Amino acid sequence: MTRFRRQLYLGLFALLAATAGALWLNAKYSTLANYAFLTGWALLAGMFILTIYNVRKKLPFLPLGKSETWLQIHIYLGFFTTLLFLIHLKFRLPHGWFEITLAWLFVLVSGSGMVGLFFSRVLPRRLATRGGEVIFEKIPAVRHAAKTAAEELALGKDAKSPVIAEFYAKRLAGFFSGPKHFWLHLAESRRAASALIAELEDLRRFAAEADREKIEKLAGLVRQKDGLDYHRALQLALKLWLFVHIPLTYGLMIFTLLHIVLVFGFSGGAR
Amino acid sequence: MPDAPTILERPQRWDVAFDTNMTDEDVNRLLFTAPFSQMDVEKFPKRTPLREIIRNDMRILKFRKGEIIMRQGDYGTSAFLILQGAARVVLKPDLSPSLLGRQATGKKGVFRTLAQLWNRSRAPEVLPRSILGQSSGVSARQDENATRVFLQDVPRILDQHRTAEMTAGEFFGEIAALSRMARTSTIFVDSDDAELLEIRWQGLRDLMKSDDALRTHINKIYRERALASYLRATPLFKNLSKEQLDRVAEAVEFATFGDYDWSGEYKRLAQSGSVRPEKEPVIVGQGDYPNGIVLLRAGFARVSQKFGGGERTLNYIGAGQIFGLNEIAHNWRNEDATVNMQFSLRAIGYTHLLIVPTRVMEEIVLPSLPKSELPPPVEKAADDLDFSPPETATREKVGAEILEFLTENRFFNGTATMVIDLDRCTRCDDCVRACASTHDNNPRFLRHGPTAGRLMIANACMHCADPVCMIGCPTGAIHRESFAGQVVINPATCIGCKSCFTNCPYDAIRMVEARDERGEFLVDQEMKPIAKATKCDLCVENHGGPSCERACPHGALTRMNLNNLDALSKWLKL
Repeated sequence: MTRFRRQLYLGLFALLAATAGALWLNAKYSTLANYAFLTGWALLAGMFILTIYNVRKKLPFLPLGKSETWLQIHIYLGFFTTLLFLIHLKFRLPHGWFEITLAWLFVLVSGSGMVGLFFSRVLPRRLATRGGEVIFEKIPAVRHAAKTAAEELALGKDAKSPVIAEFYAKRLAGFFSGPKHFWLHLAESRRAASALIAELEDLRRFAAEADREKIEKLAGLVRQKDGLDYHRALQLALKLWLFVHIPLTYGLMIFTLLHIVLVFGFSGGAR
Repeated sequence: MPDAPTILERPQRWDVAFDTNMTDEDVNRLLFTAPFSQMDVEKFPKRTPLREIIRNDMRILKFRKGEIIMRQGDYGTSAFLILQGAARVVLKPDLSPSLLGRQATGKKGVFRTLAQLWNRSRAPEVLPRSILGQSSGVSARQDENATRVFLQDVPRILDQHRTAEMTAGEFFGEIAALSRMARTSTIFVDSDDAELLEIRWQGLRDLMKSDDALRTHINKIYRERALASYLRATPLFKNLSKEQLDRVAEAVEFATFGDYDWSGEYKRLAQSGSVRPEKEPVIVGQGDYPNGIVLLRAGFARVSQKFGGGERTLNYIGAGQIFGLNEIAHNWRNEDATVNMQFSLRAIGYTHLLIVPTRVMEEIVLPSLPKSELPPPVEKAADDLDFSPPETATREKVGAEILEFLTENRFFNGTATMVIDLDRCTRCDDCVRACASTHDNNPRFLRHGPTAGRLMIANACMHCADPVCMIGCPTGAIHRESFAGQVVINPATCIGCKSCFTNCPYDAIRMVEARDERGEFLVDQEMKPIAKATKCDLCVENHGGPSCERACPHGALTRMNLNNLDALSKWLKL
């Protein structure tokens, strides 16, 4: 069994087991007077363990176990706390701006985590299959080199074809000017680059002999730039979800602590 | 019009002499010095006469008292002959690492580990005084040609260690030079002045070819010092009595193949894209009569099979592995249906090997093995194209593309190669950040490197089985850790000569400009920045193993001995 399938089955099994267990406990103990107190503290403990994974990441020189093991625990516990959160809410929508904000924070943190998990399991394989591995931070420099090479071909001092120059100005200058087609790449669509390559092929068919080689080189640069955009889009997606997940986690923890203070300050403890 | 080819004079064996300062006078003097005076010049081929070997493959070195000639554990490419003066070889106990200019490493304590939280430098490549001022018991002095390391307190060393004197006319270092293995002893000069003749391995090899006495002498000491213990440790000979083992040792033949300086040659070939199995020296050819089993003592060899117009790699084997046993065992049991060698064995880089002749195998070794330990019979001759030999199992395990990739790039040399599975790697750089956190904010590798399919070999020190980076370090700063064998650099004794940086075929070593604790560049008297070599040390001082591997959230990065393809195949399937 492949690693991906094993993790998927284990994850599904853990989720089902946690759901069954939580629902059974809910059915059995939900009538207890301090049931909200019990689920609330369990939820806080779960959230605390989920949060300290980031602390583990900041201390790689300490023998705190493999990050891979921590991540697996983080994922399973993440699913479980989501379920616990619903139980804590008694499967009802929250009331009041504070609780609504708190609930939204929880939803966004959980949701971004699930998106991140999906991206982490799917996008690396797509990047490896596409090839042309490039470090994210180096993409602008490589893209600039491709743009310079394309400009040299179309507009440089040796460029003598007004047709190529016009095509470059109208169709390629924008394409080479910066990263393009983020969403198309994320959706695994090659529509935009294929259209450009097809137009270049049309141009080549009717071009003078001397210009054909230049057009082929331009097509090569378009493919290279498209590959860079693909890597940028997918690598950016693999990073961006963390910019939602981590800051909102800290916001959620602050709101959670305030929630506990409010519960104990104004309600005489959870009921 | 096509570009005109670049025409060069064909490179020759002695285009670059070992020492361009060797004069006719020096050569004449050496020709009248033993053992060269006893050699028969007529026996040397016209292409490599004795006089030219002396002129091009030797150099005369002057040493002063206390200067270290060779260190235990170093990798050297040459042997030495004492011309004048005396030297001492340290027998027991070995000199401490600090006396050899090495870093006395150990695991960090709890406080030092935790202190990494607040002690990290803001500037890159800071070398604190505590490291630079490390008391080592050795100092370096610079003469016009080289940097020499000398022991500061020779009388104390003589008091505390058992040593043996070596005087004019004695040879040493020849076994390590020829077999490309670590030096087994430390030797230093014990007279006010000493004159030594350094002979690089190519010269030594040519001398041995033409001079029976030297060949007999070196073979004798090889058999005495290294062979018996090696054979005893080889499982194939475990059932032999001492007498039988002596007979095997007596019959063993030694051979070296390939280019000793393979790293430089390999870099050149790799850049020109002309690394091809067909160009590698053949140790055993497919279809040859099996003359004996081949035991690899050092280096690597490629097992290949004719396929179409070329050769396809089936496997590669490294030190301690055996080739040819299947065919010899088959022929011994099936005298009426003998087979020739089923595959070729080719040297990759430099290979030092032992050959146990078929006769000795049949008379002594094979009868000592229980039936269960004998290899299965060879099923079919190799000229059957449909035949899939057992060796292809290795190829199938990791896939042909990956096997060729690892072989072409010589990655099997790595004992702790950083392997990244691109199917799992989310490019999060947690590994790089972990490395930087563990090394005072300085990452010691690049998360980038050659790729084949889903496999990437990152630019990180692989802690090679054959560490060419260690050859030629003048101060012993780059060395193997005594316990786990990681290749590490002592920044205190690194003089920034770039020898390791140039030698490393994998671009895993970087030169950096060191800074002090204020973040200012360290400079010498001429105000030039002081450079140091840096690389991955496999987190030798940290608990829990390499932090890069532990930091990967997706198990996409591992440090692996690539001479074990089973482990790689298992990891890829995980």
